[in-house]
Amino acid sequence: MSQKLLARTILIGFITAVMSTGCHHGNGAGPNASTSGNESAVPGIGPGGEAGISERPAVGLGGLPGVGQFAAVLFDYDSARIRPSEESKLEAVAAYLKANPGKLVVEGHCDERGTAEYNRALGERRAIAARDELVKLGADTSRMSTISYGKDRPADPGHDESAWAKDRRCEFVIVNQ
Amino acid sequence: MEQVWRQFSHMAIRTAQAISVGLLLCGGAFRANAQVDVVKGKHSFGVSGFTGDAAIAGQVTDVLKNDLRLSGYFSLAPVSSAEYVQSGSVRGDHNGIVVECIVVQQATKNVALSKAYQGSAQDLRRVVHKLSDDIVQTLSGQRGIAQTKIAFVWLHNGAKELAVMDYDGYNVHQLTYDRSISVRPRWSPDGRKIVYTSYKNVFPDVLEVDLYTGQRRRLAAYPGLNTGAVFSPDGLTIALTLSKDGNPELYTMNVQGGDLRRLTHTRAGESSPTWSPDGQAIAYVSDESGVPQIWQIGKDGGTGSRLTVSPSYNTEPDWSRPPANSDMKPMLAVTSRVGGKFQLGVYEKGSGVVTPVAADGADNEDPSWAPDGRHLVFTKTQRWRPQLYLLDVVTGDQVELPAVEGGASEPAWGP
Repeated sequence: MSQKLLARTILIGFITAVMSTGCHHGNGAGPNASTSGNESAVPGIGPGGEAGISERPAVGLGGLPGVGQFAAVLFDYDSARIRPSEESKLEAVAAYLKANPGKLVVEGHCDERGTAEYNRALGERRAIAARDELVKLGADTSRMSTISYGKDRPADPGHDESAWAKDRRCEFVIVNQ
Repeated sequence: MEQVWRQFSHMAIRTAQAISVGLLLCGGAFRANAQVDVVKGKHSFGVSGFTGDAAIAGQVTDVLKNDLRLSGYFSLAPVSSAEYVQSGSVRGDHNGIVVECIVVQQATKNVALSKAYQGSAQDLRRVVHKLSDDIVQTLSGQRGIAQTKIAFVWLHNGAKELAVMDYDGYNVHQLTYDRSISVRPRWSPDGRKIVYTSYKNVFPDVLEVDLYTGQRRRLAAYPGLNTGAVFSPDGLTIALTLSKDGNPELYTMNVQGGDLRRLTHTRAGESSPTWSPDGQAIAYVSDESGVPQIWQIGKDGGTGSRLTVSPSYNTEPDWSRPPANSDMKPMLAVTSRVGGKFQLGVYEKGSGVVTPVAADGADNEDPSWAPDGRHLVFTKTQRWRPQLYLLDVVTGDQVELPAVEGGASEPAWGP
């Protein structure tokens, strides 16, 4: 067997091994559940059953779309403050939630002029700020969760002020239970 | 995928790659005063090459020269005038290849090094990296980096996957195949595991992958953000960022994901923890002052204290861990933003000020220290394309690593 073919065969074997450990469908495992070998239980649900602010909706592996069903709430540079001009967009989301079932995921995003990990925290603060506004507008906290993507999923792939203004946003995605 | 594979090496990182810090040897006139103020001079080194099979000898010579150049301790010079001169031979045997090497100090005719190395033919680069590290250790008394690895984020087909490569950019191999976002890798001190942030289950979770077995497990999957996981120097604790209690704060947990403890309690956001070399403190980013700056807190939590004041945006700290006998002192490398551009800086304790070490008009971010406490790997973005570069903070030399197709970012230098 040539070196390259041998190497490829080992590679494919390794890839198969790695991929077979990765799949995890639907909800997280309950407290202290254990799986054989591969992925272990979700320790995020602590011994007191603390689920934090909200439990996670059951979402399939396909992931959530980056663009939500509502107009994105936009932010100033380096800021997680909800601008008064954005309030009407949040009112629309809150109104939908009152009238319809389902859970809401609030995504937080940043533009590329911040560094990667700090932007994950900034994106999360934006998502939390939007979620807190929705609570003030009457939405139920237990129906909402946040996902920060930092700068990893820009709305506009451009590299100028107009693109960046669109990237600094929260998206709102309804997921069915 | 083919273009990513320059040379394939076995997937599992071998136990034979145990890091040897080496003995402190006399000889080598490198002395440091403080911080980056190490003697910047380089010894001239002449590589005469290797006798034996021409193809093998050529490859061995190329790897050796690149290693010596990247080490920062040597400038390659003609054999006739160099301070140190190398000679050697290569041969194949039934086990693989044998590389013999002699290094002589030309002025005194003293033999500084005379060693033989054996390995399989496809491990040729690894064999030469061991030789290079021995040359660096012997002649400078400092630990070499030629046998180290760098983990990074590979921008591939619209996804972000983790990959690992040799420190010189060769032998790239992919770790995740999730077609999702896998980011912020950090190594365990024994080099066996990498913790990272993964969106493969939709939400950002902290996962750990075992590089020997390929096994993965989830360490933190709380509501909200789970990210920034980083091992303590003794390998027993992981610091990380969680937002489950209202906004991003710092926590620690044990390496099983249990014994979760909260360190910070502020209305600001905390992120990007890095451990002090003695494992007693954690530096991190907080925007409590209104802009992101570097702060420090004890490993058991409490009140953080601010370290950096200037420039007005400092993030992504990484705390170096030079070996005990090193000329380098522990330092914090950070990413500053000045005039809209990212630049690398090092923080000098007590000054509040970050000194630039890579400010050149490109966007330079996400520094990660090599275990020698002298080299950094970082992301340089030019024309909006991110690639990995090495920086020698003593000389200021930057070296571009072989380009990764699609782009590379968020590097983490292994132990």
